[in-house]
Amino acid sequence: MISKDLSVEFLGVHFENPFLLSSSPVDNCYEMCAKAFDEGWGGVVFKTIGPKHFKINEVSPRFDELTKEGTPFVGFKNMEQIAEHSLEENLHDLRHLKDDYPNKVVIASIMGTNEEDWETLAQLVTEAGADMIEMNLSCPQMTSHEMGSDVGTNPELVKKYCAAVKRGSDLPMMAKMTPNITDMVPAAKASMAGGAVGIATINTVKSVANIDLDRKVGLPIVNGKSSISGFSGKAVKPIALRFLQQLRTAAGLEQLPISGIGGIETWQDAAEFILMGATTLQVTTSVMQYGYRIVEDMKNGLMHYMEDQHVEHLSELIGVANKNIVPAEDLDRDYKVYPKIDWDKCIGCGRCYISCFDGAHQAITWDIKTRRPSIDTSKCVGCHLCNLVCPVGAITTGEVVMKPGTKGNPEDVQIESSRLTHPVQ
Amino acid sequence: MSTKYEKEAPSYTMTTVMEEAARCLLCHDAPCSKACPAGTDPARFIRSVRFRNLKGAAETIRENNAMGAICARVCPTEKYCELACSRTGIDCPIDIGGIQRFVTDYEEQEKMDILRKGDSNGLSIAIVGSGPAGLQTAATLLQKGYAVDIYEKNEKAGGYLRYGIPEYRLPDEIVDVEINRIVNLGAEIKYNVTIGKDVTMADLKADHDAVVVAVGASEAKMLPMFEGNPYVETAVDFLARVKEAKGDIDNIPASAVVVGGGDVAMDVATTLKRLDVKNVTDLVYEEFDEFKASKKELDATQKAGVTIVDGYVPTDVDGNTITFKHRHLDSEMTIKTDLIILAVGQQVNTDNLGVNTDHGEVQHAGYKTDDEKVFFTGDIAQGDKTVVWAVRKGKEVAEEIDQALLGGNK
Repeated sequence: MISKDLSVEFLGVHFENPFLLSSSPVDNCYEMCAKAFDEGWGGVVFKTIGPKHFKINEVSPRFDELTKEGTPFVGFKNMEQIAEHSLEENLHDLRHLKDDYPNKVVIASIMGTNEEDWETLAQLVTEAGADMIEMNLSCPQMTSHEMGSDVGTNPELVKKYCAAVKRGSDLPMMAKMTPNITDMVPAAKASMAGGAVGIATINTVKSVANIDLDRKVGLPIVNGKSSISGFSGKAVKPIALRFLQQLRTAAGLEQLPISGIGGIETWQDAAEFILMGATTLQVTTSVMQYGYRIVEDMKNGLMHYMEDQHVEHLSELIGVANKNIVPAEDLDRDYKVYPKIDWDKCIGCGRCYISCFDGAHQAITWDIKTRRPSIDTSKCVGCHLCNLVCPVGAITTGEVVMKPGTKGNPEDVQIESSRLTHPVQ
Repeated sequence: MSTKYEKEAPSYTMTTVMEEAARCLLCHDAPCSKACPAGTDPARFIRSVRFRNLKGAAETIRENNAMGAICARVCPTEKYCELACSRTGIDCPIDIGGIQRFVTDYEEQEKMDILRKGDSNGLSIAIVGSGPAGLQTAATLLQKGYAVDIYEKNEKAGGYLRYGIPEYRLPDEIVDVEINRIVNLGAEIKYNVTIGKDVTMADLKADHDAVVVAVGASEAKMLPMFEGNPYVETAVDFLARVKEAKGDIDNIPASAVVVGGGDVAMDVATTLKRLDVKNVTDLVYEEFDEFKASKKELDATQKAGVTIVDGYVPTDVDGNTITFKHRHLDSEMTIKTDLIILAVGQQVNTDNLGVNTDHGEVQHAGYKTDDEKVFFTGDIAQGDKTVVWAVRKGKEVAEEIDQALLGGNK
């Protein structure tokens, strides 16, 4: 079994590996966190602790899933709020986790309704021995508008509350941002101005996942009604990566330390977040579906990836992809790539033909007798929709041609891609 | 271009293996893993595939089972992991063998080198026989830091894997790859050495700290009525002859009769069909509901076009004409054929090896003999006579030796 150092330094704290449970139902008590540590997680962001005066009263049931064909949990909708245990119980659990697992990182997630709350909570979790604070400025399903994502979209409040936390604690502190916003940069900068040194993102995306067609109400149904609430899981990964990219390329935030969140389930997802600028990685939805054990393959797979990349420390990979994601106007639009069909692999299903006609440029002709497609380069624009729908990986990139009136050598164009030039077999 | 005899069934692709792995329910306390005699841990490696960690999957298989790519192909999974699979509560079990084959093929394609030789402890072990049990024993001992010499009576290693299982089920190349991994770990294989003839047990004991007898049931049984009959060949001889020649043999008969109903008989009958023998008839002592061959092998044999007649025993033979009678019914049939192949079992020869067997097995549990330096494993040890059990017994005898010599301590 491969063994490599997965440790990272994040906001001055040493993590034995970057995998953390995010603040959520998966780490709401000592027993859960202890089991997660035993199974190999590097740390936990303990389920958000609120002020004593704010009572949590949850609905039942409180989850829903988005499916597609036979695949469950494409996305996950969750209505649960912050920790339902008492403040005393939560602080007790934090203290004991730190006592029993001194080498694991215990991050306290907190949320207040006003400056005083934030300051007091910061003080309490610091006394309880937490290594770091995460400010939850982003939960989209709180029953108070003074809490959660309504706060996180208001840079002034963000800055004020961050400053309050800094008054209550010297611990390194990150602000957890909501994706329910057009541009995350102002809120992130406001949090830094208030004293945050890192950003955790994304929290869940506001959603209505499914409608019950007979009852005419969203799911889950709570005594005949439902609410908008947070959506997570694989489906939100692209949204999360987009926010990471925008943060890491904003002026002044180029070296921003990020704890990446949003649909992480495999080592490949983890590597993507790291390449997009995350130093630590937070996970909930896939743990809810499969359990803490998923960390084994994330860690092992990431070690193999490091080996393949000839990398000794994960820090060498952080943000490496950011520079390669550029504004759309900066992309090279002087050439196109024709697809190429591998006749040994083609099984004659005709899906490329259908998609090209109905969804692209009618550039595939279909031989009704032989049941084989062929590409009409006079119409093909090189969009490669055909590659994406081919079920057997028979369509790859072929000839590169320069568009009329452009200069440049087709051989200099970089089209190498694990998806397009080396499709799954 | 490989011949019909050589051609293996197609393997999964990256897409289809993910589809199959996606069927896995990822059970708690997974019954498949508990049901694998060798502890290959299918639940663990399928989970790794599911989470796109193929290298981790390969590590799990290889570290638990040095015959991983072989078991993937020949294990009667329907009796073990797939029998236990929870997915049967929905439809049919996960194709665990197929996923294992994909992963071990990937391991080879990526030239992964997973097993590590242990730091030398200065002790040396002799293993008699290079079948799956001997090979696994070697792999486990080498990882623990022992030096290992394997004594093989034939000119190639692998035992029944090499000479018995047909090419279309287990390509020679796979056997080579698996053996090379163990040679690369440091095993020294001495070919064409018969213990008791070329070298004595006393020599082995003098030169090594322990000796493991890992001989299998390599000799064919003969029924008295067929002795000396020129039309008769044993299954062991036939399978070895065809495999050696990669299916390119002379005088393919127009018809053949196979006697026997175990997995070996199924291999013989299917091989005959793949060699384009037009009429292949297999007569079997057992009736279908008490059949010895695995269901998978039986189905494949019938699908290959072999006529299987159950419940009959040979009562008389005159040259190439055999008479069979049904065991319970008043029924008799006479068949005239070009070739008669007997697949009626194999026997163990432990002469001069310091191990006493009765009915092919040592009559006590465990792997020790009265001589504290001599151990045994494989088919002659108690338990199933399958490759996966050979792996289990290889791991267990290695642990027992380690306990005996070092008390399990480094």
